[in-house]
Amino acid sequence: MKVHVDMSICLLHGQCVIAAPEVFSFNAEGGLVWVADCNDGLRADVEAAADACPEQAIVIDG
Amino acid sequence: MITTAFADAPYLDVADPAFSIRSQAVKDARSQSWFARTPYGIAVLRYDEVQKMLRHPKLRQGSHLWPQHNGVTTGKFATWWCNMLLCVEGDTHARLRRMANPAFSPKLIADLQPKFQVLANRLIDQFHARGSCDFIAEFTEPYATGVICDLLGLPFEKWRELADIAADMGLALGVTFKQDLPKIEAAIAKLFAYAEELVADRRASPSPDFIGLLVKAHADNPEQLSEQEMLDMIVLAIFGGIDTTRNQIGLAMDMFVQNPDQWALLGERPDLAKAAVEEVMRTRPTTTWVTRAATEDFEFQGLHIAEGTTLHLWGQAAATDPAAMDDAESFDITAARKPHFGFGGGAHHCLGHFIARGDMTAALALMAQRMKNPRFNGTVEWLPDSGNTGAVRMPIAFDPA
Repeated sequence: MKVHVDMSICLLHGQCVIAAPEVFSFNAEGGLVWVADCNDGLRADVEAAADACPEQAIVIDG
Repeated sequence: MITTAFADAPYLDVADPAFSIRSQAVKDARSQSWFARTPYGIAVLRYDEVQKMLRHPKLRQGSHLWPQHNGVTTGKFATWWCNMLLCVEGDTHARLRRMANPAFSPKLIADLQPKFQVLANRLIDQFHARGSCDFIAEFTEPYATGVICDLLGLPFEKWRELADIAADMGLALGVTFKQDLPKIEAAIAKLFAYAEELVADRRASPSPDFIGLLVKAHADNPEQLSEQEMLDMIVLAIFGGIDTTRNQIGLAMDMFVQNPDQWALLGERPDLAKAAVEEVMRTRPTTTWVTRAATEDFEFQGLHIAEGTTLHLWGQAAATDPAAMDDAESFDITAARKPHFGFGGGAHHCLGHFIARGDMTAALALMAQRMKNPRFNGTVEWLPDSGNTGAVRMPIAFDPA
């Protein structure tokens, strides 16, 4: 499963970090980093993150 | 680093009931400085600074001290307030937010969209032929409460009772909090009784709706969402959804009465309703500021902010900041805009925003088609133009179409 975040609309609310902490996190500079190629065991968390994103910036492929 | 002199910053007396967040004094302060001093602490006025501070790691949501500031430390309201999603942080907040998210998912809201239209039309039908109404009493209040009835699976006829309970509970956010406490405690007891009844009903007949999803979250993970936390969440959804939406739709009407060409355009192009909601919330949000508190000392743009300092992030001033976007102070539902702060932001970003956006979009699209040329038809009564604002009474006239 491929995870993509559209950084042109992401506002760094961090709802994905709350919903799926194993996939999304903030780095020391406060930027968003994520696991772009996730194993399927994390699918429920990633889908919850995509749903919860206020800007709907997360795209799941596959 | 240049040290910003705190005492040189403009001072805004927001505690004065006549103060307006849209006044020239605020615009002048915003062009002079990114922050102002207020009787409550620091007001952050500009777009970039508000955006950064909404999710600053050394700031927490600042509403948790409200009951204590008012001398209220015991009772159902204070207990609920201090334990509900808005007022908790860190791991507890993350756990509760994860549990709540499925019940607020955009997928669930899509199913409610046709019900929003039925509700809006039903309310408009009652005053349409007359060509006039009190827009608050006859539309925004029953609509906002009716949406909550739909969300909870309650019949529309319950709206009046629910609206009255929410209004009594809303006294807790006002300056007479402590003297109104008996009324507030009675109201929150009624809301919890409602919540318990709804939960018992979904246990008897499971359903994948808002309450059903929370009941399922608790049943699947009782260690992640306790019975009490589930009930607290339901009370928050009812309380948080009614006043805000009622006020915001009234403020939308205010903007369109001032900008009749925009209303006419929306009537011709209902596909603009979604953008209209965003433009209203950018220029005339009911939540004019959100509160943060510093968890430790830190420096921000040369200003020393001490632990415990209260900061109000003035979303309305920031989102109309001419330094941030072109024509920032004009109202144009076709303009490309930067995101507004009407739903707050960061970890505490409004949980119910998909519902609010959906129900307001449906209402504006239908009203612009059926109620042409709206204008004020008597005296509009307003809440103070700061904090959480809106109209209490709004007589309007319009041309039925």
